[in-house]
Amino acid sequence: MSSDAASPPKPVPIVQPWAQPFWDATRQHRLVLQTCNACHRPIHYPRIACPYCGADDLGWREASGRGTIYSYTVVESNAPSAFIGDMPYVVAVIRLAEGVQMLSNVVECEPGELRCDQPVEVVFERLDDAFTLPKFRPVR
Amino acid sequence: MNERRGRTAIVGTGEVPTGRFPDKGAISFALEAARHAIRDAGIEKDEIDFVIPTTAVFSFQFSNELTTCRLVEELGLRNVTANATVFSGGSSSTNALRIASALIETGRARTILFVHCDKLGTGVSAQGGIDLFSTAGISMEWEVPYGQHYSTVAALATQRYKYETGTTDEQLSAVCVSNRKWAELNPNAFFRKPLTIEEVMASKMLSTPLRAKHSNMLFDGGAAFIVTSADRARELTPRPAYVLGEGGVVTHFAYHQEPDLTRFGWSRAGRQAFAEAGIGPQDIDVAEIYDSYPIYQLIAFEEIGLAHRGDAGRLHFEGETAPGGRIPTTTDGGMLSKGHIGAGGSVSLLVEAARQVMGRAGPRQVPDCRFAVETAVGGTYMDAQVTILGNEIPRVAR
Repeated sequence: MSSDAASPPKPVPIVQPWAQPFWDATRQHRLVLQTCNACHRPIHYPRIACPYCGADDLGWREASGRGTIYSYTVVESNAPSAFIGDMPYVVAVIRLAEGVQMLSNVVECEPGELRCDQPVEVVFERLDDAFTLPKFRPVR
Repeated sequence: MNERRGRTAIVGTGEVPTGRFPDKGAISFALEAARHAIRDAGIEKDEIDFVIPTTAVFSFQFSNELTTCRLVEELGLRNVTANATVFSGGSSSTNALRIASALIETGRARTILFVHCDKLGTGVSAQGGIDLFSTAGISMEWEVPYGQHYSTVAALATQRYKYETGTTDEQLSAVCVSNRKWAELNPNAFFRKPLTIEEVMASKMLSTPLRAKHSNMLFDGGAAFIVTSADRARELTPRPAYVLGEGGVVTHFAYHQEPDLTRFGWSRAGRQAFAEAGIGPQDIDVAEIYDSYPIYQLIAFEEIGLAHRGDAGRLHFEGETAPGGRIPTTTDGGMLSKGHIGAGGSVSLLVEAARQVMGRAGPRQVPDCRFAVETAVGGTYMDAQVTILGNEIPRVAR
């Protein structure tokens, strides 16, 4: 795709302090989920306290990196400025095997061949020195 | 539960045309709409004792002026005890009505003026609008870095809904056609030329399966309404728009957190509103359904009980929602044809619902209209708000 020299840089995540371990892990190509040590439920995105039971004793657990596409869309026009050069790109809601949902991009795929409920697995894409984004590709 | 039914009413509405008015300041839309509403209500301006503006998203500075009492000064209102902004994006009108009703029921206010205006057609550039709406209500940590924006938000719901219900692109496009037929009858609507399903299907793909003509467009505009007690309303008009029932469910902030993108909170919100009103979906004469994209009109229409799951697309395709149809729906043309003016999308729909039950909807008037249901939603479909208005207060057997 064409890249526009005038297009603004990619937006980086505006990180809340309690989510920092998530981004530290993705930089090492690991997907981790915050977990409540009181009710043992996985939490995503990371919270300041457990949204289910209110406990503030939270830890981190390695995620399987497996999930399914709950829904997806292929962006073909009218993208935000920083993403115009990426079109066509896929935005998807991923349901992780652990039961939480996250927004991501599906990559390494033929966009026209995706479908809802398709199995996917995590891959890591470096954004800059500070950030690596977890993305997903179809399980082959 | 039912003691709130019909204790307040909308007694006047005002609106300016939706469009592109580069030479007009946003304040002129607000003042014109407010003056129309005061005249429509048949009150003296100084009967107003409380003013609720909502935010104009094109300008933080201008919104601050509304928050800091500019409307009170410009309109020369002398008996206002408080001016307080109520803003929740696209559900601002419902929340303003809810708060206004509570203030009146508790005696804190008698006559409340709500005003919305915005300048999204000429106050921001086209790409500026996309960029503005790619951060509003979208998580800066968990969604913005992936290129999420308003088209993808709507497309994600559309894709999953099609997958679960088998609804076709033609049926989705029929929503745009139905709303356009109403807009043809609305002098305040921007798009008034007839539209066909083929034209919608031939328009540019934005984010699959969402096309350009499935998308609302941003414009300038404004609207206002006046709320007072049921007793005062009966002195002003034989057909006030009584507030009969309200229901609401807040579901999420970040869109990907929503557990069911094909239903949201509409079912529970609808049940609450109908229970409070003492009527059912079968009693509804006109439905003003929030339609920033066709998918949301279909989902809310079904979930509040106007159609079975997966059947709303067929009803729109067969003309049941268009003029002359069994369930006249989004009769001002909606955001898809009247035009999207920020928080004003659902202000227009609430104003239209009030006009319909008051018998003041001109060429769009639904005959013998007694009960209207209106839906509103803000952010990235973060809440489901349902309001029921009627020109009579149903008596309910105990």
